[in-house]
Amino acid sequence: MSDDLAIILTAGLLATACGLLGPFLVLRRQVLLSDAVSHAVLPGIVLVFLLFGSRAPLAVIVGAAVFAVICVLGIEALRGTGLVHSDAAIGLVFPLLFALGVLGVTHFASGVHLDLDSTIYGEIAFTPFRTWEVFGIEVARSLPLLGAVTAANLILLALFWKELKAITFDPGFARVNGLRPVLVSRFLLIAVAVTAVTAFESVGAILVVTMLIVPAATSYLVTVRLLPMVVVSVAVGWVAALGGYGSAVALDASIGGAMGLVAACCFGVALLFAPRYGFVTRSIRRARRAEATEPA
Amino acid sequence: MDRLIDLIPLDYTESVVLIGAVILGVAAGVLGAFAVLRQRSLVGDALSHATLPGVCVAFIATGAKDAPTLALGAAAAGLIGAGLILAIERTGRIRPDAAIGVVLASFFSLGIVLLTFLANYNNANQAGLDTYLFGQAAGLLEGDLEIMGALCLASLALVAIFFRPLKAGLFDMSFAGSMGLPVRLLELAMTAMLVIAIVIGVRTVGAILMVAMLVVPTVTARQLTSRLSTLLVIAGATGAAVGSVGALISNSSNLPTGPVIVVVGFLVALTAIAFAPGRGVAWRARKILRERRRAANEGVLIDLETALHAGAPPTVDELVLTSGRSASGVNRALRDLDRAGALERDGDRIHLSEQGAAAVHALLRKRDLWSVWLEHGWRLELPDAREPDPRNLRHTLGDENTERLLAFAAAGGDARPEGEGRAGEGGDDE
Repeated sequence: MSDDLAIILTAGLLATACGLLGPFLVLRRQVLLSDAVSHAVLPGIVLVFLLFGSRAPLAVIVGAAVFAVICVLGIEALRGTGLVHSDAAIGLVFPLLFALGVLGVTHFASGVHLDLDSTIYGEIAFTPFRTWEVFGIEVARSLPLLGAVTAANLILLALFWKELKAITFDPGFARVNGLRPVLVSRFLLIAVAVTAVTAFESVGAILVVTMLIVPAATSYLVTVRLLPMVVVSVAVGWVAALGGYGSAVALDASIGGAMGLVAACCFGVALLFAPRYGFVTRSIRRARRAEATEPA
Repeated sequence: MDRLIDLIPLDYTESVVLIGAVILGVAAGVLGAFAVLRQRSLVGDALSHATLPGVCVAFIATGAKDAPTLALGAAAAGLIGAGLILAIERTGRIRPDAAIGVVLASFFSLGIVLLTFLANYNNANQAGLDTYLFGQAAGLLEGDLEIMGALCLASLALVAIFFRPLKAGLFDMSFAGSMGLPVRLLELAMTAMLVIAIVIGVRTVGAILMVAMLVVPTVTARQLTSRLSTLLVIAGATGAAVGSVGALISNSSNLPTGPVIVVVGFLVALTAIAFAPGRGVAWRARKILRERRRAANEGVLIDLETALHAGAPPTVDELVLTSGRSASGVNRALRDLDRAGALERDGDRIHLSEQGAAAVHALLRKRDLWSVWLEHGWRLELPDAREPDPRNLRHTLGDENTERLLAFAAAGGDARPEGEGRAGEGGDDE
């Protein structure tokens, strides 16, 4: 398998996995919770490494998921006191967890192969060199991992589509109908955390956060229905993956950063030219309307 | 600055770090308050990430790695990021959290791309730019301190001078607008202050941990006061304390400064949330427990009075049976009442003491007054919508209104007369 293909496929799978979840975060106004969770899992990764001495994907994912839940519960507990707004609660909890993670790394694990760059700023350019044998074929390790996460997210959405929709748009209605909004929203955040952690070591945290937020926000500008929103968000993610890789190769720049920039450009274009909500389109429409109502 | 460093009984590097942490704490505490109180804490997160491309551009443009240049670049990028957040929100469709997230992700991606550019085209000179992100307190120089200190003092002076307009804008933008204050300028000023705090701090504690430095002091101070001026002072002091304690701990334990400061800060904020007088979680829990206990004691007292009224003085077991309360609850209430001297024991059987009888009488009077209020309260036609306190209605209404209320009740109308203590409850209904 060629290196280019491995990188593009990895990024594409990441775009799919994140694009499936992102719209729900945007709609539920939990965008920044995803950022918080993806930073807060650091102590989980460190702890697993300290206890078991391994960076085996499964153990790391479980450890990270535990801390994702701790992060979410901590934020909810702080908010539940009624003394702290939710933004401040997020701002208190995730830096703490991140700080604990950094302390763990520097104090206990210094000198071993667990530097911050590889946990937080994993580099997508290295994915082709970390390989696994699957059915006798050598593939980049990130592909089966991200593939599994993507499949899991897809199954989550397919199974709980109705529930997620109800809970996102009308939590009260959902509760009356016997759904458990809190439980499902926690599942969603765990899915976000697992996605983030799996992607960390192959592509780096910032690309995960970007892929979760920016394509979904872009598609929120373009569509008004949930299913198209998810589809567009995945599509924007793929555009970012392909365009980012192309421009990164052309400019000899960071691949993850370039993908983020392409995604940001998509957002910028949507912000200006989206058919219904774009800034320019709306100005044009307003001007036309003013023209039409002007007395002849 | 030299003399200040000499004053501190630590070696040179440690003193520099300590002073830096204190300056950062004060600046982040005071300036962060204007973001946290507007529920914009996480704008700080986005802006501290957004400084990265600014630092890179400043470096590319000037080729210099000195503190003022980089700080200038960071500040410019931060301001642009802040402007973009406001602009994206202004278009209407995108909500604030998504706007913050998008700006964070885009600017940071740009920063990473610029970093790789630098790595490719420049030489060793660029090394260390990326520590900007994680912060490196140990890398602070005396020159950095001077810039940080100057920025901090200047911004504090601005806050002091423009305190009143800032306050108006902070709590009520539309009021500020109607007063003829330049609202946009105020909003921009508050964001600019946030950017200044971030530029001061990012170098010391790093982009991610900077958020905590902005949030912790204000959250702590908010638990202790409700006045903005006091809050700013407490927040500044908290920030300085957290910064210095964190720096000292990290000195003596060889741990990185930023994370230690954040952990200390979190503990401080948590303590404030738990134990703040009159507001903290523990304080409220104690109040609720006390109220419950008081209500249980009063209930048992009345049950006892009812039992005495009905027949012979009851034993504890009989009281438990007739009151329908749990045995442990009744026992605890009786212990409390005993301690208050309300009971007299006659072997197993329980009487009310003189004091207890008086207490029951007062209690029943209070309860009767409450039912009178429920029935006739509307006739008082109080000028305001006051929320009466069922535990002490007379106190809420005042003596005059209470007498009027009793007069209404005595006059009857469609209401039954207010009886003497017991009588109302006993069997006057016919």
